[in-house]
Amino acid sequence: MNNAMTSFERVLNTLKGKPKDRVPVVPETFGVTAKTCGYSIYEYVTDASKLAESQLKARSLAGHDILFSFADLSVESEATGCKLSYKEDQYPAVAGPVAVNAGDIKNRDLPDPWKDGRMPVVLEASSRLRDAVKDTCIVAGCMMGPLSLAGQMMGLEHLLYQMADDPGAVDEVLDFTEEVARRYGMALLKAGVHCHVIFDPVASPIVVPHEMFRKLELPRLRRLFSEFRRAGSLISWLSIAGNTRKILPFYREANVELATVDYTVPVSEAFDLLGTVAVNGNMMPFCFVSCSPEEIKEAALKCLEETVERGNFLLGSGCEVPVEADISSVKALVEASQEFAVVGNNR
Amino acid sequence: MIVQGEAHLSVTLAEELIAKGLTIESLIQDGLTAALQSLNAKCTNEEFNLLEIMLAGRAMMAVLDNVVARHLPPSKTVQPGADRTIVLGTIEGDIHELGKHVVKMLLRSSGYRVIDIGKDIGPEEFVNRAIREGAGYIGVSSLLTTTIPSITRIRELLKKAGRSDIKLIAGGGAIQQTSKDDLNVDFVAQTAFDIFHYLKGLKSKA
Repeated sequence: MNNAMTSFERVLNTLKGKPKDRVPVVPETFGVTAKTCGYSIYEYVTDASKLAESQLKARSLAGHDILFSFADLSVESEATGCKLSYKEDQYPAVAGPVAVNAGDIKNRDLPDPWKDGRMPVVLEASSRLRDAVKDTCIVAGCMMGPLSLAGQMMGLEHLLYQMADDPGAVDEVLDFTEEVARRYGMALLKAGVHCHVIFDPVASPIVVPHEMFRKLELPRLRRLFSEFRRAGSLISWLSIAGNTRKILPFYREANVELATVDYTVPVSEAFDLLGTVAVNGNMMPFCFVSCSPEEIKEAALKCLEETVERGNFLLGSGCEVPVEADISSVKALVEASQEFAVVGNNR
Repeated sequence: MIVQGEAHLSVTLAEELIAKGLTIESLIQDGLTAALQSLNAKCTNEEFNLLEIMLAGRAMMAVLDNVVARHLPPSKTVQPGADRTIVLGTIEGDIHELGKHVVKMLLRSSGYRVIDIGKDIGPEEFVNRAIREGAGYIGVSSLLTTTIPSITRIRELLKKAGRSDIKLIAGGGAIQQTSKDDLNVDFVAQTAFDIFHYLKGLKSKA
């Protein structure tokens, strides 16, 4: 075992290029943690105490270096008026858009994070997590990027068509969703999170051309991350899955300090494209359900070997660890990191 | 025009060309099929993105619905057989439909009869609809690994119904990380065009 540092120190030292005892392990563990307490996904996403308890229990079992104050991807869309469909053991999903025309979004009321939808649930979970770990482990507050929230509020097809047919109106929608993200992000910080992760699946180059990412989303991400940092957020962390090669070179411009990169981009290539931005990745998420802990450990060791010359690497899943995975699969990553450090390969 | 996603201009241009004497066959072959090939090349070169392909698909469908359909002789409007009919749906436990819509547009543009049975659909419904519609193929879409058990059941139900001849194709999100054996299907598509090529390959073997 090599746990001389707290998770908090391990992650921040890695990002600052300072010495660390081992590579931090920060897989995207959300609903998968609920099972460790015997809770359903519905309970996890609707009950702050169960969300916090699940996150803490999973970390106590697996030993990873992060806690996520995150329920699911539909928290903001629900707070802005989208109806969700809830099922007992699945994440809720947006049942339909609040408005299919871009022009109808801008005049909607902005949500109050302390009152609307399940935002208060996540805020309470943030406080519980922070109270539990103080400054020994990073509590990451998560939110949707402006483009992705716009896709949920309008329906992705409508958003995409109107990006071509009525770009001015879409710009106004993005002003609205950026403001939702800003308010929610500030509330998360006030509730106790240490840092912000922005998930932005619609900003992926497999959905919109990379020129549109630069024009429409990058300035908004830059503003959000800058404002969160000024308010005390410790890490500006962007998570976009899929083949992101074309936009990785622009992350620095968006003030991103940590990028989650999935298995479709080889980790060494991600480092080259990102410059000074730290990398979190990039195990194949399906591996967490299809491989044994030994196989996962072996794959993680290969990943660590590949990144040994790069100081700013955090081992992770690249995308969400599937909810049906066993927590032992996450523990296998931690064991790989510990073993790698013990044999003296960690630098 | 189509590749650039200009639906109105594509329809206007197609009408003009037909008025000048271009045959419908040439419009399909040199216009629509060529546009499809150009999109395919972009996809192969990782230049693909959903926005561009949706806009191009919309333009293509506009030409098909507003120009080609009006000019086709009645003999060409006969309903396609099993080898050109596919039932498409998002499996139960998942409500993501965008990828399915893109596949639908591509296949329809290529002359396939596509029956879209919607989202959150159980394996029984896939099988029942495929048999009822006389489809040769089932396309099952999913973004989530939690749906894998439901996908694997489709094959079992097809066998039980004595219809193992119906080919099963899966695609979308996390499914792309799996193999055809994991899912008990005939083919796992990585992109929308993969399905198109797979179907074309089956036809040429037949």
